[in-house]
Parts: sequence; structure tokens; C-alpha cells
Amino acid sequence: MTARTVLRNEWRLLMADRALRVVLGLFAVLLVYALANGVVWMRFQARTVEAVQAGNVERTRAIAEELAAIENGAEPASRFADPRAPNVLGGPRGSHTAVLEPGPLTALAVGQSDLLPYYYDVNIYTNESSFQQNGEVENPLNLMVGRFDLAFVVIYLLPLLVLAVSFNVLSEEREQGTLALTLSQPVSARRVVAAKLSFRALLVVGMVLAVSLLGILVTGGFSSPGRVLLWCATVVAYALFWFVLAAWVNSLRRSSAWNATVLVGAWLVLVVVLPAAINIASGLLHPLPSRVQMVTAQREASNEAVNRRSELLARYLEDHPEMAGGVVAEEPGLGALAWAATDAVNRRLEEVTSEHDARRAEQIALVRRYRFLSPALLAQEVLIDAAGTGDARFAGFQSQVRAFAEQWREFFVPAILASEQMDASVLPDLPRFRLEDEEGADVARRAGVPLTVLGALLVLAGVGAGVGLGRVRGAD
Amino acid sequence: MKHIVRKEFTDVLRDGRFRWCSVLVGALLLVSLGHGWVQARSAQQEHAAAQATARDHWESQGEKNPHSAAHYGIYAFKPRLALSFVDEGVDPYTGTSVWLEAHRQNDFLLRPAQDATAAQRIGALTAAQVLQHLVPLLIILLTFGALAGERERGTLRQLLATGIGRRELALGKALGIAGALALLLVPAALVGAAALVVGSPGPAASPLARGVVLAGVYLAYFTAFLALSLAVSAWARSARTALVILLGVWVVNGLVAPRVAVDLSKWLHPTPSALEFARNVEREMAAGVEGIPRPDRPALTEQLLAEHGVERVEDLPVNEVGVYLQESEEFGNRIFDRNYGALWDTFERQGVVHEALAVVAPLLAVRTLSMGLAGTDVEQHRHFATAAEAYRRDLMRRMNGDLAENSRTGDTYLAGPELWEETPPLEYAAPTLGWVLGNRILSILVLGTWLVGAVLAAAARVRQAEVG
Amino acid sequence: MNTPESRHPAELGNGRAPLLEARGLSKNYGATRALDSLDLAIAPGEVYCLLGPNGAGKTTTINLFLGFVAPTSGQAFIAGLDVSAHDRETKQRIAYIPEQVMLYRNLSGLENLEYFAALGGKGALTPGRLTDILVEAGLERSAVDQRVSEYSKGMRQKVGIAIAIAKEADALLLDEPTSGLDPQASNEFSELIERLKNRGVAVLMATHDLFRAKETGTRVGIMRYGRLVTELGTEEIGHADLERIYLKHMHD
Repeated sequence: MTARTVLRNEWRLLMADRALRVVLGLFAVLLVYALANGVVWMRFQARTVEAVQAGNVERTRAIAEELAAIENGAEPASRFADPRAPNVLGGPRGSHTAVLEPGPLTALAVGQSDLLPYYYDVNIYTNESSFQQNGEVENPLNLMVGRFDLAFVVIYLLPLLVLAVSFNVLSEEREQGTLALTLSQPVSARRVVAAKLSFRALLVVGMVLAVSLLGILVTGGFSSPGRVLLWCATVVAYALFWFVLAAWVNSLRRSSAWNATVLVGAWLVLVVVLPAAINIASGLLHPLPSRVQMVTAQREASNEAVNRRSELLARYLEDHPEMAGGVVAEEPGLGALAWAATDAVNRRLEEVTSEHDARRAEQIALVRRYRFLSPALLAQEVLIDAAGTGDARFAGFQSQVRAFAEQWREFFVPAILASEQMDASVLPDLPRFRLEDEEGADVARRAGVPLTVLGALLVLAGVGAGVGLGRVRGAD
Repeated sequence: MKHIVRKEFTDVLRDGRFRWCSVLVGALLLVSLGHGWVQARSAQQEHAAAQATARDHWESQGEKNPHSAAHYGIYAFKPRLALSFVDEGVDPYTGTSVWLEAHRQNDFLLRPAQDATAAQRIGALTAAQVLQHLVPLLIILLTFGALAGERERGTLRQLLATGIGRRELALGKALGIAGALALLLVPAALVGAAALVVGSPGPAASPLARGVVLAGVYLAYFTAFLALSLAVSAWARSARTALVILLGVWVVNGLVAPRVAVDLSKWLHPTPSALEFARNVEREMAAGVEGIPRPDRPALTEQLLAEHGVERVEDLPVNEVGVYLQESEEFGNRIFDRNYGALWDTFERQGVVHEALAVVAPLLAVRTLSMGLAGTDVEQHRHFATAAEAYRRDLMRRMNGDLAENSRTGDTYLAGPELWEETPPLEYAAPTLGWVLGNRILSILVLGTWLVGAVLAAAARVRQAEVG
Repeated sequence: MNTPESRHPAELGNGRAPLLEARGLSKNYGATRALDSLDLAIAPGEVYCLLGPNGAGKTTTINLFLGFVAPTSGQAFIAGLDVSAHDRETKQRIAYIPEQVMLYRNLSGLENLEYFAALGGKGALTPGRLTDILVEAGLERSAVDQRVSEYSKGMRQKVGIAIAIAKEADALLLDEPTSGLDPQASNEFSELIERLKNRGVAVLMATHDLFRAKETGTRVGIMRYGRLVTELGTEEIGHADLERIYLKHMHD
């Protein structure tokens, strides 16, 4: 009864307040604009993915054609690109591009998808340095600023809107004198504030969820219901956190101006200052060696490898007897020698990379530990993870591409070592990349801890608000 | 008026809000300056060392065919400029190194941002960002009540009754607030200048002059914000209205407009996908462009034989392979110039969209100028990329020239360390201050307009302000 | 004349079970004793006027009945229920009209009434019925749909009364309801209170207005320094020179 009464009254107050209507209308426009941006980006990526996959088919077709022609007695088009040679068929010419489809909710959160590569050409020369390529062509200035997507609106602007509509939820009643009259009725301050905030939350969160669901509908994201649910849950939890925080500050029985100052300060600290402080601290405590050292290491390894090719081949065959096949180590072919050098460089690169990755893991662990301080960081993490544009999905893709590259090498290297030629009969057996995309359950598992912490922060602020509001009397 | 300045100054200093905010902003400013300096310095040292090692590799590659050496190539590392510790700009998002090798222009690889997490992407805070985002917020908090608050409390009536002019009153307040801010900003500027003089993190053309202009740009930005806040405070009916309007301005200026500029610039000046770009280069390499076909080796041979009046390639006074390779380079360069040139031009046009939107958000003008002066904008990345590419072309010309001049077709020719050593190292000269400012006329004009406009608006609003 | 302490609180009333009752009600603010062992009982159909200078404890008494402040000792009862133990139930029985009836300025009088009546548990009243109540409370029918920002103080006061009527409150707590009203508005207000009294509503009114107290009050209590120093019954008010008695107690 109380709730419905308050909601109805709030609606009337809202309709009577022009400034609030303008702000809400503006927010709706920004939401739709953000969604449109996301949809455009997702379609762009989907088109590129299609073109990349068409490229795979086209390369295989061209090779099959040439192999058939050679079988019928024609000469290979180029001595250096003879598709029968395993280092050609398995090299750049016959390479297979491994692709990561856009995350199911990319339209809602661009996340890391504008920065990280989402397809890799895999061939026998794929090594750690292959993973150092740039992603999509993008103006660095645009990368620096970041996209105006729904995730941005939710993380930065939504809290500001929440604060704008609720910083004076109780203080205004007191300042305009209606609080005494209200509390002389058989209702508690807690219930009145809860009802007033529920109305605002319904309105604001409703708008965000409606636009999100529209985006998901348009881009076919409902095929991943788990992600949709996670997205919605995070939006709700994050928005509620700010509402409850506003309630808490209101329960301290100070003026509207004081509430506004404190809440804007809280926004600044939680959304801007803390994430920055955490990153600066992690950078100072665990400085990351730059990748520049990798370049030098790779150069040195390849110089050395070229000079010690025979020795390296012998060692390679000792380490990988399964690759040896019919090769006689004493009479290695040119391809075998080259391969031994390539492999040595790869090994050295793997060493350097794993050192680098270990340092990076330390830094990330620190950031992850302290991200619990900022609801904005928690929300961002889960939102882009749910969208399929977070770091984890890209890392998963990369490690699958690494495994695939290994599989690719295993297919071709024995023939290289044996200086064998290949023919059309191997084409159906060529390794093909099949992404084992993360399931909704994997994402949910990763989201478990951050969402729980976000929930805990919500409850904490809620308890503070509840206790504070319990003390509110009409005679303040 | 002296009294007003002094009163306002004391008032601000005694205000708990200001003390807390300025301690926070000051601490962030110093920490981000320090962090930026440490990072820029270690990056610069690393790049300098890597560049030296790369040269070492080049010189010690032993006896080799010059074309093999060309394939071996050399890496170029982008130097961190002196002022990049104030504003790292787009540096985390541009590659740091490029492989200069035969036949192709490569992309800059190793973007530091790719090694960071998404959390680090939203949480980057440089000294420039503190200056661009947080100091204006501080100015707003100090100024919104300057006139609106006095009017609400009824003290404005009292003040004006003493016979002081409104403009004097407003100017006095502005100077008082500016004085309080100076307590925060001047030490930070001195620390920055000291860092530049004592241990410059990297090379730059005239770093001190750049630093002085940079300080001027921020001074103009803060003055514009202060004047704007005063204007709103004089115009608004209540202090609360003034605060709400100014916070709205702050959100549009710092959060909304910069990101709108991203999408607007992409919409007005679309870039190709990486795939389209690569395929286009590939296609042009195969089919030729601008009516110029891919160099045809037999035809070239015929031409050379005819030119020198000999019958056999072995009798040519030059190595036909070297001539052909250089022809191929020149052909490729034409294609790289077209494609990379078009891409860079698109980036620049996108940058102009960001600059133009400064009409609604002065931050965009300040950011452009700040990155430009720090040497961390897209244009100066292009400047280095162009220098590196010019170096690559020179290197290839030398290698192919040596091959053509010092060997004959069919020889097994190996060049020695003298050739590697006589190839000059890459000497990069950062662009001059004049070059930077010349590219940034639009931003200078827009920022200047904001400054003048805000001061005029403040003067007009103060003159018309209601006493209440 | 008996002192209040020597009599049972209900003795002075009309003999019906009291709707508002204070037993040894005290309130300290720090070292200050704002209210000192107040005993009071107001039966249906009574209008009890509390007189006294500022700081005598009148508003504290009303706040204690409203549960806005908790008593230091003693109890306040509404219809026999302890206010501090039955917040909801007691508030369902009372209506409160402060010195300034503050309403939502952007809403009309009708919308305000609808809201507060619904909060008071009368959500089922139709707009037509609510309009009648506003008119009954003395508001012009044409003013009912105007925004409250255009209302005078007297008009807002009438909406306050309308809230009490709509709620069918058994008891009415009034805090300086007529201060700042012009004589005509003040008079209309008294008539409304009279009408509610006749319906059996118990009214507790804190006021400075001796004239109004004499006219509408069935009983008058004079407070000073948190104590009820004297009480006058209906007949005594009628005959007594209230002003003289009041001033006499102020100078004791």
C-alpha cells in the first residue's frame, strides 16, 4: 500500500519537475546513442570475421586447384611457392586464420575488442612474436579515449544520474517541510525512502535494461542467456549500490547541499581516483618490463641459431624423436636445417615471454586484489566479461591459437625434416581451428567473486542506510 | 579590492572542503608526475639501449650479401620525449618499435596498452589528466557559490552597499580563488620543471620552451574555467543551480564530449579494417597502381642490356639483381605511401574532428595542445614513423646500390662490416615547437575563444547580476 | 482550585476513556529538562489547549505523542496504546497539523491530499470524495486543482485539516496552527476545529493565542519550564480572565 502510494506520488512529482524530465530524457538519448555505436562496431567486426573466414576458404581452394594442376603435369607457378613443399603448404601461403567471433554482447560493451587482435594467421612460423601483432586498425587517439558504449554509460554516467535523482531524497522532504507531515502518518522513514528510491531505480535501471535488451535483441545476443542475465544482474547491482549509498548519505540528516558534495566526492573517489591509484600502485610495485626486450632477445636467438643450425637440428631431433620419422640426422636437408633454427628461436622467445608473462601476472594480481575497493572496477570487469569482450576471453582465444599452432607444426614438421613433398590427399586432413568458446557458466564462475563483493558493498551501504534511516524522526 | 582578494583567499584556505579537495588533487598531481617521470625515464633508457643493441646487431652481422642484410634489417625504437612524463598521450596505444626490412613497410608493434588489463585502461591517470579533469572540478567547487551564495545569504546587498563596484568584487573573488589554486599548482609546476632540468627523461627539441607553453595552455584553460564558473555563479538564481549547471558542464566537457568525438570522427572519416588494409596493399603489390605495373624482371633486363649495349647480363657493368631489387623497392614505396599516407591522413582528419568539438568542450583543445607539446600525439608518432620509413628506404637504397655497383650479375657477392658500418645510424630529430604549434592553430584558436568568451561572459553577467 | 497532580487525569474531562494520555511523561535534552512528568488525558470531543511561552515544552509534548522523539521516562498513549511500542497503530489514529503545513509545491492540493490520505491508509477514497473533503475543510472548489506553490498559508492549513478529515483521525495534534493567519482565516480554522470536536475527535493544540484558546478550548493547560503549572476546566475558561491567570503564572 505504502509503496504504491509513494510510487504514484513520485511519478506525479517527476512529471511536475521539468529539469528532472530533461535530465532523464537526455539520459535516454545517450543510452540509445551508445547502443547504436556498439551495434555499428559489432557489425564491423562481424563483417571482418566473415571476410577472414572467406579468405581461409579461398586460400585452400587456390592451393587445391594448383595441386590438381601439378598432378596433371603442370609446373608450379613459382619455384618458391610450390604448394607441394611442406614449408609452403604449412607456411604463409597455406596458412589458416584462427578467428574469434565478436563476443555475443559486443554491442553493449566494446571492452578490449577494439585493442586486442581477434584473428591470427597460423602457419609453421607462428611463434610468440606472432602474438605481438596489433589488433584492428584504429586511431591511437580513439583507443586512448575509449568508446561511448553502454558499458561506459553504465559505469560513469549511470551513477551520476542516480545521484542526481536521489541525493536529496530525504533531505529535500525535510527542507520543504513535508517530512513531519509524512512521518505523522503510520509509515516509517525507511519505507518512505525505500519506496521513493525504488521508483527512481525502476525508472533509471528500467531505461538501461530496456536499451540493453533492445541491443541484445537486434544483435542476436539472446542465444547466450547466461551472459544476458549476468549483464542485467550487474547493471542492477551497480545501480542499486549508488541508490543505497545515496540513501545512506541522506540518512545522516544533513542538508541537500552537503549530500550532493559528499556523493559527488564519493563518485570521484570510487570511479576515478581509486582505479587510478590502484593502477599507479601496481605499476610502481610491479613494474612491467617492456616488450622491447623481446625484440632484442629474438634477434640474438636468431643470429645464434643461424650459425649453429646443424647442432640445433641434432638437439631438436633428440628432443622430438617423434618428429624424426625417416630423417637421417647426419644428412639433413636445407629445410630441416632452417627448421632447426626456427625452432631454436621459438624456444628462446618462449623463455623471454614466460618471464614477461610471470611479471605481468604479478601486476595483474595486485590490480585484481585491490579492485574490490572500487565498485566501478568490479562492474566494469563483469560487464565486459559478460559481453565477451573482456581480457579473459581474449586470453582464452590466444591460448587456443597457441595450441592450434602446435598442432599445425606437428602436421608439417615431420615432412619438412624428411624433405618430403605433399599432395592433394593431405588437404582434407589439414588442421582446422575450432574455437571452444567459453560457456556462460565459465563467465558466471569468473563473475562470482566480483559480483559477490559488489553485493557485499551493496549490503554494507544498505545496512548503513537502514540503521541511519531508523533514526530519522519527523522532528529533525 | 585588495581586501576582497585577501578575504576570499583566507576564506578559501579555511574552507574544509577546499583543504580536502586540494590535498587530494595535489597528492594525485605529484604522484602522477612522479610515476610518469619514472616510467618515461625507464622506457627511454630501455629504448635507447635497445636502439644501441639493434645497431650493434646490424654492424656485427658478418659477411653477407647486401640483400640478405636488407632482409635482416634493423629495428627502430620510438624515443620517449622529455615532456612525455607530464602527458603520455597516445603513446600506450601506438607501437613502440618497427622492423625496417626489405620489401615492406611494417606496422609499429608492441603497444603497451595491449599488455595492460581493461581495468588499467579505465584507470590511467597522468598528470595531464589531473590537470584537465580534476583541477577544473576544484575550480567549480570553489567558485559556484562566489556570487550566488553571497546573494542567497544576503551578504551581496551588504557588500555592494559599501560602494564597491560589482566588477571589482568579482575580480577580487577570482584573484583570491586563483591565489589559493596557485598554492597547489605553482609547486607542482616547479617540481615538473625541476624534473625536466635535473633528470630529463628523454630527448626533445627545446623541452623548456615546450614546458613554458604547456604551462601557458593550462593557465588559459583554468582561467577560462574560473571565468565561466563566475559567470554562472552571477547568473544562477541559487548556489545550488549554479553547482548543478557547472557540474553538467564538467560532465559534458570531460566525459561525454571526448567520447562522442571518437565515434563522430570514425563516422565522418572511416578507417579500413586491418584486413582490408592488408589485402589492398597485397592487391596493389600484385597488380600495380596508378598505371604503373609491378616491375617486370625480363623487361628490365632487356632495357639494361640495350642501355649498355651488351648482349649478356654477365657483361653488364652493374648487377642486374641490385637494379631490379631497387626498382621493386621504389614500386613498393609508391604503394606504401598511398596506403599508409591515406591512413595517416584519415587519422589526422579524425584528429581535426576532436579538435573541432572543442567548441563545446575546451578540454579537447587543451588535450590536443598538451599532447602536442609533450610530443605524444598522433602527429608526432607519424613524424617518427615517417623518419623511420625514410631511413628504411635509404638503407635499402644503399644495400641495393652496393649490390648493383660492386658485383656483377651471377656473382656470389658478400659485403663486409665496412658496408654495415658506413651506413649511418637512425638519427631522429623531434619536431620543433614551431612545427607543433603550427599544426595546432585550430586548438589554439578555440582555446583562445573560450578564454576570451568566458572572461567577457563573466564581465557581462557580473554587471547584470541581481543583488537579490 | 486543585493542583493537577492531586487529581486523576481523566477527572477534568468529560468522563469518557481518554484518546490522548500522558503518564509521567518526561523528556531531557542533555541537561535541559524540556518536559517534566506531564500527566494529561484528553477524551473524545475535547479540545485541550496548551498555553505557555516558547521553550515551555508544548512542541516537545506533541513530538512525544507523534513518536518523533523518545521519552526519557513516562509514557504517551493514544487510544490506550503506548506510542513508543506501537508506532504504526498509534499513527493510524492521529492527524498532525504543524505550524506551517508544508506540502509538495509542484502538486495540487488534491494530489497532496490523495498522497497523504493514502499514506494514512485511506487510499480507496475517490478524487470526488477527496474534493468534497477539501471543500468541507474550507478550500474553494476552484483551488483544489491548483498547484500548492500558489496557496496561501491558510489554504495549506486547510489541506492539513482535510488530511485529518480524510484519515478519520480520532485525535488531532496541532502545533501553533493559527500563528500567522489573518483573523478571518483564523476564525474559519476555529470553526473547523469546533466541527471536528463535535464529531468526537480529541484535539491537543499548542498555541500562543489566548483568544483562540478561550474560544475553542474545552480545557486549557498552562506550561512553564517543562511543567504543567495549572489547568482550567470548561466553566473556568468561560468565566476566568485567561490573560490574567496566564500572566500570573508567568511571573510566579
